[in-house]
Amino acid sequence: MRAVVKDGIGVFNPQGFLDGNNSPVLLTIDDIKATEQLKVDMILISLKKVIFFNKNGLDIFVKLLINLRSKMHIIIGFCDYDQKKYRAIMKFYEKDINFSLFRTQKIASLFASTNRADAHTVLVYNDDASQRSTMAIELFDHGHNPVIAQNKRDFEEKKQNKDAYFAIVEDTFLGLFGHKVASRVSGNAVIYTVSNYLDAEISDNFNLTYHMNSLNVGFRLFIIDAYKVVSMNIHAFNFFAKLSSAAAEYNATICFVGLTFEKTPEKFKEDLEDSGIMFFDNMDDILKDKELLEELGAGGSTAVKHKRTINKVIVNELPRFIDATVSTIEMMTNATANKEAASIDQLHIPDTENKLASSIGFYGDMDGMVILVFPKEIAKKTCEILIGEETDDEEAILDALAELVNIIGGRVKSLLGEYKVSVDITLPRTYNNLDSLLEMIQGKKGVQVDLNFDNDKFIFFLTR
Amino acid sequence: MITEEEISQFIKKIPPTPVILKATVNFVNEGELTKAAKVAAKDPALSKYLITLVNKPIYGFRNEVHDLSQIFGILGTSGAKQVLYSYMLSLLSPSKWELFKLNKALFYDLQAQLSMRWKKILEHLNIDDKDISSAITLLPASIIVCEALFKNHKEDVALLRSVKELDYNTILKRLSGFDLFDISEKIATTWEYPDKISKIIQAASGVKPSDDEQINLLGKWMHLQLFYTLSQVAYIEAGLNDFVDFQVEYVQDIYEEFSLLSEQL
Repeated sequence: MRAVVKDGIGVFNPQGFLDGNNSPVLLTIDDIKATEQLKVDMILISLKKVIFFNKNGLDIFVKLLINLRSKMHIIIGFCDYDQKKYRAIMKFYEKDINFSLFRTQKIASLFASTNRADAHTVLVYNDDASQRSTMAIELFDHGHNPVIAQNKRDFEEKKQNKDAYFAIVEDTFLGLFGHKVASRVSGNAVIYTVSNYLDAEISDNFNLTYHMNSLNVGFRLFIIDAYKVVSMNIHAFNFFAKLSSAAAEYNATICFVGLTFEKTPEKFKEDLEDSGIMFFDNMDDILKDKELLEELGAGGSTAVKHKRTINKVIVNELPRFIDATVSTIEMMTNATANKEAASIDQLHIPDTENKLASSIGFYGDMDGMVILVFPKEIAKKTCEILIGEETDDEEAILDALAELVNIIGGRVKSLLGEYKVSVDITLPRTYNNLDSLLEMIQGKKGVQVDLNFDNDKFIFFLTR
Repeated sequence: MITEEEISQFIKKIPPTPVILKATVNFVNEGELTKAAKVAAKDPALSKYLITLVNKPIYGFRNEVHDLSQIFGILGTSGAKQVLYSYMLSLLSPSKWELFKLNKALFYDLQAQLSMRWKKILEHLNIDDKDISSAITLLPASIIVCEALFKNHKEDVALLRSVKELDYNTILKRLSGFDLFDISEKIATTWEYPDKISKIIQAASGVKPSDDEQINLLGKWMHLQLFYTLSQVAYIEAGLNDFVDFQVEYVQDIYEEFSLLSEQL
């Protein structure tokens, strides 16, 4: 069984009956190895389709999850259960519970760092006061607005006003969280959250590949949320100085927010400022100041200092990228996709109205980005198998488009792997406004292939 | 991935009921078990299947049974009809399984387990009906159909499932408008199974509840017992546990009763 990944959360979906006999065979060694390669904030086991489980069955999953946490520094636990199942798990593990429980995946996503930090108002209740506080702090840290019910009665009263809350967090428990430097995207800025004492370990816990890739796909503003940092030593200082030099090559900006200098030498601040890092007291000083955001590069239109262009290595592999795209579209639509025209030039979209796009980056032995541009109706048709029902909900279509490029990325990865070219893929991005896509790629040259299936046209663009 | 043309081709290839088998079923329907045994003996493959199946541990016979008259006698009319339908279905099963890690012996085991458990469920529900009793034999048809249609698309399905939790049944439905259970129903029609069997199988898919109260109840029990069986190690290893979606909510109201009965299953 493989984990389904969405919004930075990998979820296993076992079904039926879970006990000590069958739980070990649900996840094979290959499944676990594949999970270790995932770039996720959380790995959860969904209990939605499990009608019966016992402690022996859960123990096996818990052991596997704890191993994954120690290797991947992520949040682990269970999700999608009712109150009866929640009580059973709490009873099984009592005070020895070192994993998290999220009643739904929607609730789990509020605690995942990768997700877009749209601020949501969330009602929170737990019998345990320390759990209530922990959840409130974590939710607040993730950019949400938690409303805490102080007791059951208060909770029941507040719960009546369901529409006031994006989610009601109950029957949820936060166990040990991962220790990785959490990252999330807010608008066009990438926010990293660091805490405690920063030392040489920062280079292990910071996902440098993700950072470089974010630079490659066009992010220009990186904010380091350092409210919870006590101090940093010279090793951490050097790390951030190097990060700043790398960012300068892309004309990107790095900002620290909330860092205090009671225990950190003021000299560090001066030297980091010299290397181009900026310091702010509050996150809102940046995120709510549109002019400043533009100035710092979060508008996405900043010119790249060293514009990277398509190269021979990528052009040589082009047939595999096209194959991956065409075969994916064919698989999902049962229609034959054909190549119409190919050219090496800037991305040319005849009419940007009523079009949607998605992109996915790849990096490793070679790096670059695949962009697909579809007329809205065609995007809907292409993703019908993923959407499942008739919908005009643009968000659902964009979600499905993200899943589509994820599949294409997965196929490219395996096709290139057959030729000993090893690449990893990034999280997909979607665009409902093609102007922001064009701003992001900033006139870069690439290979544009016009494709059609059933006489419906769409654009494939491969660039660096 | 899978076109309507491929589905039609599959349906076209469903063989008609063999003459000897048809005659055997007719005698069983008339309650003529001795005559049924005599006719069945003319088909060596059918005889071997009956002997192998009935001697599986789940049937619980202390001594090995070889004589067909004895076998028909032990099974009775309902049991014999059920086993004959199981044999009919086994004719459609592939000689080599590629999508699922199954083989002939494991597939026969699955048929035997489903049949015996279904028998106990029907006893528990106080239902004595030859057609209802035989309905369980069509359930593994969904597995055979899935194998036939998806065996060349394993990687495509794996990629789809890496981004969205989709079972084979849903993928097929969204691609072609037909699901595995619709195609199983076509098999039932070709083989002239009673209508009731098809209706129960459709309800047992868990996604198409029946308006008929009894058929819906039987669909729930069948759906739950399918997942009870597919939660066994051998079938999880065979890749069968998640080939169709388990509908927990559909079976919620019978779960307590099922869990009490499952101690005897």
